Amino acid sequence: MKTIKYSEALREAIREEMIKDEGVIIVGEEIGQGYRGCFAVTTGLYEEFGSDRIIDTPIAENSIMGIGIGAALMGMKPIVEIMFSDFVSVCFDGVLNQISKIKFMSGGQFPELNFVLRLPGGAGNGTGPHHSQCLESIFMSIPGLNIAIPSNPYDAKGLLKTAINYGNPVVFFEHKKLYYTEGEIPEEEYSVPFGKGVVVREGKDLTIVATSYMVKVAEEVAGEMKKSSGIEIEIIDPRTLVPLDIEIIGDSVKKTSKLLILEEGIERGGVAAEISYHVNEKFLDYLDYPVKRVGSRNSTIPMTPKLEKAIIPDKERVIDEIKKHFEV
Amino acid sequence: MKLSKEKSLEFYEKMLLIRQFERKVYEFAVTAVVRGSVHLCIGEEAAAVGTVMSMEKSDYLLPTHRGHGQALAGGTDPKKLLAEIIGKETGLCKGRVGSMHFFDRENNNLGAQGIVGAQFPIALGVGKAIKNKKIKSCVLCFFGDGASNQGFFYESLNIASLWDLPIFFVCVNNLYGMGTHYKKTSKVGVTKKAELFGIKTKAVDGNDVEEVYSNSQDLIKYVKNNSKPVLLECKTYRWLGHSAFDNRPYRPKEEIASWKKLDPIERFKTKLLDMKIKKEEIEEIENNVGKIIAEAADFALKSSYPEFDESIMQ
Repeated sequence: MKTIKYSEALREAIREEMIKDEGVIIVGEEIGQGYRGCFAVTTGLYEEFGSDRIIDTPIAENSIMGIGIGAALMGMKPIVEIMFSDFVSVCFDGVLNQISKIKFMSGGQFPELNFVLRLPGGAGNGTGPHHSQCLESIFMSIPGLNIAIPSNPYDAKGLLKTAINYGNPVVFFEHKKLYYTEGEIPEEEYSVPFGKGVVVREGKDLTIVATSYMVKVAEEVAGEMKKSSGIEIEIIDPRTLVPLDIEIIGDSVKKTSKLLILEEGIERGGVAAEISYHVNEKFLDYLDYPVKRVGSRNSTIPMTPKLEKAIIPDKERVIDEIKKHFEV
Repeated sequence: MKLSKEKSLEFYEKMLLIRQFERKVYEFAVTAVVRGSVHLCIGEEAAAVGTVMSMEKSDYLLPTHRGHGQALAGGTDPKKLLAEIIGKETGLCKGRVGSMHFFDRENNNLGAQGIVGAQFPIALGVGKAIKNKKIKSCVLCFFGDGASNQGFFYESLNIASLWDLPIFFVCVNNLYGMGTHYKKTSKVGVTKKAELFGIKTKAVDGNDVEEVYSNSQDLIKYVKNNSKPVLLECKTYRWLGHSAFDNRPYRPKEEIASWKKLDPIERFKTKLLDMKIKKEEIEEIENNVGKIIAEAADFALKSSYPEFDESIMQ
């Protein structure tokens, strides 16, 4: 095992796949020269693979998406990097009307369509309305897209390796506050399958389902509640939202009978609403309380610290909600 | 440029095939055999044939929403295309998507486009892949005059030029974006827009198949030899409405009449007769096209609609 940053883990995944397959390319702004990767994910890859494969573009998201889509149609394995996930609005046609629909529209003429859209999201650093959003739920309602959302370096590398070769379009959500966090990964090559969640922490009293940076928040909550009231929280990270491992959530709910879903995206119409539906459909009889969700309040993400803190879920708010809702 | 007799007859047949095909689609539209809307290219046949038939096997095609003619010129089977347009399982894409969204990978057709202008950035990716794979090839990216006002266009011209991508932009300028004349949408002509980015351009009589073809051949050679984009504007006219159910209140009758005098097919037929090609030979082609269309219609009508199957869910 070795200790590695989330950003380095992503880079290792890209680098290993680029060595294996000439068709793997990465397209985006400031990824090769200039900044050499806005969050240092692609640092050094330009020097190793050159401008044909580490493709710096002008500030033109529509073109970045289009280059990825065209390359995918030509049988390559493009990785499209949008610098901040918020900017995906600029090239949303490529997501909504093109890459997600090609397999269906062509009636199976593209059985293998490899395409990864990397979207760094997340608030908490005062980046404000246009550089902070978590947009997973928007993408969950587009048929044809698969969604991976790693919360740690191990999953970041393993999921990205799967995504690059998935044969289907993948939207890959990263988090700005996770890039510099560290974790252990094996020295040898590995990958993480889609549709398989993990139990991040075991517990018997309450289940928290969380993704991305919110797994860290859930861990803080679990640590504190154990200390303060002896409550043992189980944390489940589904790792991919599409496909969704509903069984691992069900297994946990059978044990704890209480479920809180924690996401950084906006609560209204969010990821938690979707997961909650599936839990209600399959595991309602095991629940002692209605499913609780905690996400960002229905607001634009503010820049100023007190307001930002009020909008984005944090340890204090989650504990507060647990106490109120589950009467503990 | 002098076309051989063989080539001339081939062009005539293809243009006629497109026209008869579109007439059949129109008939299917007004009798409600077709669902949704169809965008027909009657009057624009020379622009499709002269450009697409300059392609080599290794070249790629991105058609527009008015793309039946572009696909047929590229070798798409009329049976499968017609079946697709009326939603039958024997269609190119299993009948799922119809007129605006079909793909024909066998003929390097990477997808017609229901979003006006969305093909431009995709062409960049195809062009970049061609470059990376080091194949001698190019992509024909079709668009209408209306699409030249989309933001996609300018971004893509900029990058195509900046990176020297092998893209052959083909503008089928039929004067109207839906019901609005080009003059009401832009002060700048289409070729000027591309020239701003240092792209070589050419404007031709889009109703003269020989002129379109000879220029396309030169331009494709230029694209491949220099790995640089070009833009060809084919000035032509859409005889029918934007879609099959458009009464065209926005167009003066005299305008339609004057363009009909420039019918690309009739003009070319006159040339064939001037070349001393026998009437019987031309008639034989006409009969043959009639047969192909009748067979395609029969095939499409007799085919079944696809049944729902859970595997289509994603």
